[in-house]
Amino acid sequence: MIFEWIRFFIVAALLIAALISFASAVFGAYRFGFVMNRMHSAGIGDTLGIFFIVTALCIASGFNMDTLKLLLLIFFMWFTSPVSTHFLGQVEYYTNPDLSKHVQRIGGMLGDEKTEAELKKNPDKEAEDGAD
Amino acid sequence: MTIEDCYNTLYLSVTIGMLILVGAMVIRSIIGPRITDRILSINMLGTMVICTIAILSQYLGESYLVDVALIYAMISFATVLILAIMFLPVKPKEPKFPGFTLKNGQAAGKEAEK
Repeated sequence: MIFEWIRFFIVAALLIAALISFASAVFGAYRFGFVMNRMHSAGIGDTLGIFFIVTALCIASGFNMDTLKLLLLIFFMWFTSPVSTHFLGQVEYYTNPDLSKHVQRIGGMLGDEKTEAELKKNPDKEAEDGAD
Repeated sequence: MTIEDCYNTLYLSVTIGMLILVGAMVIRSIIGPRITDRILSINMLGTMVICTIAILSQYLGESYLVDVALIYAMISFATVLILAIMFLPVKPKEPKFPGFTLKNGQAAGKEAEK
């Protein structure tokens, strides 16, 4: 009986830790002012929060088929979260006109001087790119 | 108070806490100034819903809800990826070899071939 209670307290601690990490992710999403800072706080929830939840549920349920499914879930989430974050960063990099206020790239921003020179050479290049 | 009541109370309270956080992320996705803020909020919201479904599968004792969580994870990933690719512009064309220069948006090597 005492081992059941020990297991319950471990599960409770892990679930509360997961809740705290999700709460910190949401707090970061409101606190930070730029989307690339928000990606950092989103990563906390995507990795640490789901790790705590899945570990707690594995301990609570014992070893059965659900445990393997939950481990598959954590495996899937840990592989897909960096991919989606990478694509979001790419979208932000290529579409934000005020990017240089927030971030700095060593060696200058990609294609800044080159595109300006091209636009001076033939001004209708922008229309061509839009048609693409 | 038996241990099963304790487990039920724990799962219910954690689910209610996750529900409040999901509501906060919905408000964040509404007020997000740019499209990437909204997509990121939807990504975080999806993760929280997956965790809530996983907790509910234990709370209700239904093991098929874990399958639902897995499918939800895949759909959430596909949503973020498709939205990101939709808003991604065509990348600027770079010359393949260092000797080539850009002329009218095309590599100069093609003209030499002609």
